[in-house]
Amino acid sequence: MKNCRTGRGAILVGIAVLLIAAGANAADKLQIDGSTTVGPIADAFAEAFKSLHPTCSITVSKTGSGDGVASLIDSRCSIAMASRFMKEAEFKNAVNNGVLPVAHVVAMDGVCVVLHPSNPVQALTTDQVRDIYAGKITNWNQVGGVNRPIVIISRDTSSGTYESFNELVMRKEKMAAGVEYVNSNPQAHARVRSTEGAIGYVGLGFLDRYVKTVKLNGVAPSRSTIARGIFPVSRPLFLFTNGYPTLGSMTHAFVTFHLTEQGQEIIESKGFVPRTEY
Amino acid sequence: MRTKLREWTNHSFTTLSSMTILLMAAALLLFLLPMFSKGLTAVFFGGTVEFRKMQAELFKRGNPETLQREMDSTQQARAEIFALLERFSRGIDTAQLESDAKTLFRQYGDELRFRNVPTEKFIELRQEARRVRDRLIEAYENTDKDEVLPILEEITNLGSSPQFVGTSMETLIAMAGDYRAAIRGVDLTRRPEYAAALEAVKEQLRWLFGPLPGESIPALAMYRFGATRRDMMEKHIRYLIWQERWIEQEPGKPLVKTLVRRDDPETGVFAGTELVPLFALVEENADAMLNPRFTFYWQYFIDDSTPGHYFGGVGPEILGTLLLTLLAILFAVPPGIISAAYLVEYAGDNVVIKVIRTCINTLAGVPSIVYGLFGLAFFVTVVGHPSILTASMTLALLILPVVIRASEEAIRSVPQTYREASLALGSGKFRTFTSVTLPAAGPGILTGIILSLSRAAGETAPILFAGAVALGPIPDFTGKWWLQPSRALSYGCYDITVGDKLAMMVPHNQFGMVMTLILLVLTLNITAIVIRSHMSRKLRGS
Repeated sequence: MKNCRTGRGAILVGIAVLLIAAGANAADKLQIDGSTTVGPIADAFAEAFKSLHPTCSITVSKTGSGDGVASLIDSRCSIAMASRFMKEAEFKNAVNNGVLPVAHVVAMDGVCVVLHPSNPVQALTTDQVRDIYAGKITNWNQVGGVNRPIVIISRDTSSGTYESFNELVMRKEKMAAGVEYVNSNPQAHARVRSTEGAIGYVGLGFLDRYVKTVKLNGVAPSRSTIARGIFPVSRPLFLFTNGYPTLGSMTHAFVTFHLTEQGQEIIESKGFVPRTEY
Repeated sequence: MRTKLREWTNHSFTTLSSMTILLMAAALLLFLLPMFSKGLTAVFFGGTVEFRKMQAELFKRGNPETLQREMDSTQQARAEIFALLERFSRGIDTAQLESDAKTLFRQYGDELRFRNVPTEKFIELRQEARRVRDRLIEAYENTDKDEVLPILEEITNLGSSPQFVGTSMETLIAMAGDYRAAIRGVDLTRRPEYAAALEAVKEQLRWLFGPLPGESIPALAMYRFGATRRDMMEKHIRYLIWQERWIEQEPGKPLVKTLVRRDDPETGVFAGTELVPLFALVEENADAMLNPRFTFYWQYFIDDSTPGHYFGGVGPEILGTLLLTLLAILFAVPPGIISAAYLVEYAGDNVVIKVIRTCINTLAGVPSIVYGLFGLAFFVTVVGHPSILTASMTLALLILPVVIRASEEAIRSVPQTYREASLALGSGKFRTFTSVTLPAAGPGILTGIILSLSRAAGETAPILFAGAVALGPIPDFTGKWWLQPSRALSYGCYDITVGDKLAMMVPHNQFGMVMTLILLVLTLNITAIVIRSHMSRKLRGS
């Protein structure tokens, strides 16, 4: 027993020595928490910050928009990511806790309706999509497709993507009982990719060769249609801070990084739409 | 008759149990084999020159000289492809050409001013140059070849005119000649179509070879390098050469997927253009361009990763999991053994103890997310923020009932005679426990610890809110590392599956992380089992 403990100690000391040698000494700490949709942007910004500000240590956890906002209210994080705006109750809660949330829009995203590539349907209207999700349209031949039942895939009700879709397409109408709820964008993508009659919705960044997107009300989702808000399901992505960050602080640098050329390039390469043309 | 029946039941029981064992083994294999066979590709694979470039740049690994030599030779093999691409783009990407022409014209104006040309002459020359420029842009924008060619002819004829020799206008006129050569094999009316198809080809070439010549270096590491592995290389070559089209065979039927070679002389998008040789070139010379060779990437287990786990390994995750697990064991085992000892040796058999025992049993069955929420509500609030400390305390709470139950059973199974012998020799109750009962119960207690060890290492829900992060710094052992949040394998597996679209592109890393978690639990278990057998051997006195 004794032997083993010293052995374990030696390993820990060894790892510690290695890390000290690497010289990791954090001066500034940024804790970022929130939406899984905005998460990849924060991840990528953190990667860029590693070389720009080597002393700054950044942690990113992706627990969902609601949890991110809650942890900003409790001052557990310095920046909250959200794919929707704060709710009224959350705002009141924050103010009662002495936290004054300031929103920073980092990018735009479009929620795109996706189908299996074998589906000949090219365009849908938001009314048709709403009827499909509400269970009023159950077969593709009702919207100009082939005779095949529609398999409806939706994100889980706690996701920001669901909330955007629910608000902008469903207009709060209830979804049908047969809707299949999945937990993440990759899952929704995988489900649509493998199911011939499926319909689902994912962020712009998840469009690829394996799924097919349709025009909504005659508008195809693209960078320019989303940036100008012509695409019907466009939404901004937010970072929230407690008050406007002190100018020159790491938090300030982080929430304004999307305005730099590098930040915009990163946002674009992650499949989101930068706020400004560069 | 009765003996026969008994024999028959015996037989059938034996067959049944052996079949169950076989079934279990098969299920285990079915579960573990794909996990390991796919996971091992994270460590053993055909690493290309891009992989070695990435290792050198991100992790300062490898010999710079041999790498430089390798890069030079692969660059040489790629040169022809880039030349083909460049020549073809010239006929397609006219916006770039137009802006080039405008820049050259402006330069020409500056040159004239620099040479102190008299004002009248200056205006005349500039007007002449502007006319040439506008004609060239007209040619770029026109899609009718019969009109374009004479314009280009006219401009190239100006090349010999003395006023332009040795100035930027000479380059501008040369551009007209280049363009004439470039559009020879291009149907100009199909230019927008070509432009879209070319973008797709460039995209695949970027995935294969990294940023194309003349492009700026991307900010994110994942776009700085091409295909680092043989499987990725093959995949992108396939995507480069074959175009997927969904075609309607007959109305009212689903579209059917067809694969068409992009350089197919009849149906390919680039049929009859100068780009055709590119595809066969890439297909045949891929090995020379990327130089894949067998790589054993053992550093996978110690390397940090780029966000989204696109490149790199699982080092910080392993470290985090080890820290969390060992700390949890440290927090849970002493109170676990002490309470077990109390329950067996000191507590009587009254109602209160029965209630406590029931509570412990209930706690063992509480879903782990409940512990996670408790950790968030209690530990995180007390400490102030999620950290290794709060996460390991939450895990400790989770495994405490298991430790207590196992220790209780182990202590109870120590024969009463041992205790009696010790007491008869004059030691007190405490002394008897520490020097006789506890060592005898040791192996049994360890079994409980082993079980809880694997559970603690694999749990995601308790640490989800209490200290695990998807991306964070490696614990800094010079400071208060226990107050930092940490990455962990179990949470990493979750994050890499649901988090980012990047994860969909690197299945080897997904499975690699799962395999690492299984291996880690296996290693922890084997270590504990070895210690246990060592202990019981000592106990038997051999």
